[in-house]
Amino acid sequence: MQVKEEVVKVPLSVDERWDLIEKISKQTVEFGARKHTLKDAIAELTVKPLTGIPVAIAVIYGFWAFFCEFAGTLFTDGFMVRLFDEHWLPWLQSVFPGKETWLYFIFVGDPAADNCFEAFGMLTSGLFVIFGVVLWAVLAFYLIFAILEDVGYLPRLAVLVDTVLHKIGLHGYAIVPTFLSLGCNVPGVTATRPLETRKQRFMMMTLLAIFVPCGAQIGIMQDLVPEMMGWIFLTLAIGYLGFGFVLNKIVPGKSPEIIMDVPPYQMPTLKNIMSKLWIRTSGFLLVAVPFVLLGCLIVGLMYLTGAMDWLAAVFGPLLTVWFGVPSETVAPLIAGFLRKDLAVGMLGGLMEQGIMTTFQVFTSVILLCIYFPCLATFALMIKEENWKEILGSLASLVAMVFVYGGLIHLVGIMLGVA
Amino acid sequence: MNETEENFGSIYFAVLGAVALAFGVAELIATVPGEASWGIMEMSGIFLPWRAIILLSVGFFYLSSVKNFAEVHQLAKAVMASIMIWIVAGIAIWARIAGSIPGEETWFNSLEGFLASYAPPYCPEMFLLPFSLVIVYYVLKEKEEK
Repeated sequence: MQVKEEVVKVPLSVDERWDLIEKISKQTVEFGARKHTLKDAIAELTVKPLTGIPVAIAVIYGFWAFFCEFAGTLFTDGFMVRLFDEHWLPWLQSVFPGKETWLYFIFVGDPAADNCFEAFGMLTSGLFVIFGVVLWAVLAFYLIFAILEDVGYLPRLAVLVDTVLHKIGLHGYAIVPTFLSLGCNVPGVTATRPLETRKQRFMMMTLLAIFVPCGAQIGIMQDLVPEMMGWIFLTLAIGYLGFGFVLNKIVPGKSPEIIMDVPPYQMPTLKNIMSKLWIRTSGFLLVAVPFVLLGCLIVGLMYLTGAMDWLAAVFGPLLTVWFGVPSETVAPLIAGFLRKDLAVGMLGGLMEQGIMTTFQVFTSVILLCIYFPCLATFALMIKEENWKEILGSLASLVAMVFVYGGLIHLVGIMLGVA
Repeated sequence: MNETEENFGSIYFAVLGAVALAFGVAELIATVPGEASWGIMEMSGIFLPWRAIILLSVGFFYLSSVKNFAEVHQLAKAVMASIMIWIVAGIAIWARIAGSIPGEETWFNSLEGFLASYAPPYCPEMFLLPFSLVIVYYVLKEKEEK
């Protein structure tokens, strides 16, 4: 008790504290040459650019290919499309009363539709998007993410991309929120908290909100336009780095270094993986389900009241002339305020009706990614940023959509495909 | 690991590296027409350019590991190359499993359809897979000596 009092009364200076640390470490730590183990040597290989980049390509390839086969081939195309299009939709259409009523339109959607992408009712497209496509995509994403996290590969990827991300004023750690956002933007935005300065956080959140599509959106895109995925990701990556570079130049503030712990490689445990998978997937569904159903409801009501036609007439010229997409894209863009996956699903309906060319689909998908974060992400951004930063983010978004969307249209015209 | 094992490892992974490199070049060439086949080997798919890059890297990793093979950093290169093959070949096997379960007209595939999903042609990485497993012996040996 007396000793404790003395310590409080006579605080040590910084130098004295370091001296004390040295004395303690000399008495407690054994120093000597340490022989590298195979694990150490492998760890070294994965952070050196010459060897680390090919390994990163292999890991990302594995990640993506597993995602496509698990979510796309096995669950969505293998079982869910059949379940929803051949059983659920015809059954609902036959039992739901009053085909001409607004209630039918809201819940079941278009009575002539023969697939859930086109129907656009809460119980048809709404449920198909959530349980037919998105659930499996998110499950696959979080499974691989948890494995990479527990193995200890993610911090090494952060070290590997550190040099590139420093060019845009971010630390290699930024790869963690970026990767997380590929699952869902909400935890991605939360993961920006360890970034030290407001500048870094603002930049990171803005980049995530604009250029990083969530797993749900990726799942739907993969289902609709698998052949375009490479181009879509390339366009988004160019935007992420290019716009990050511009933001770094114009946003005031510092981008200091942060020290990151790189743990040794280890074997993941099934219990940890499963609990992470459960927490993240259930959390995602809690956010996604109400917003997707609400999105279907709002879009349905807007069609019924004629508000959608009015908006299409007002924004049609802008969409057609500046972005080169048809005025019908207004409906997905509005749904995109609530859920991007739902919005891409609506684009699928337009594609099947033959309203859009391939390049217009590509432009629309990019526009949907970059024009506004989904409502859940936006609500979190309001919580995490102050009003000045929110306005800054919104101004960046608007500028970005017009510049980048117009640029894509211009490139399309120059290539003769728009 | 004794000298014989080290020499065998050097020669074995030099040959495997050369084969991987040749397959990588073949995949890279196949990206131009989009697909190519040779007997029961087929190179196709939207990820072909990426697989070619990975396979070329595997070849270089193996070849750079052969000098002083017993040294832990050299061995690590061969281990990494094998892991890269396991990732690509593992995904190729997983793709077949995922495609073999649902049926065309029915919920689940018939036994014939299921078995037919595993018939050739195979991608080059699947041919390399069994040969890459030799590295497990060296990893265990290294662990034993430690």
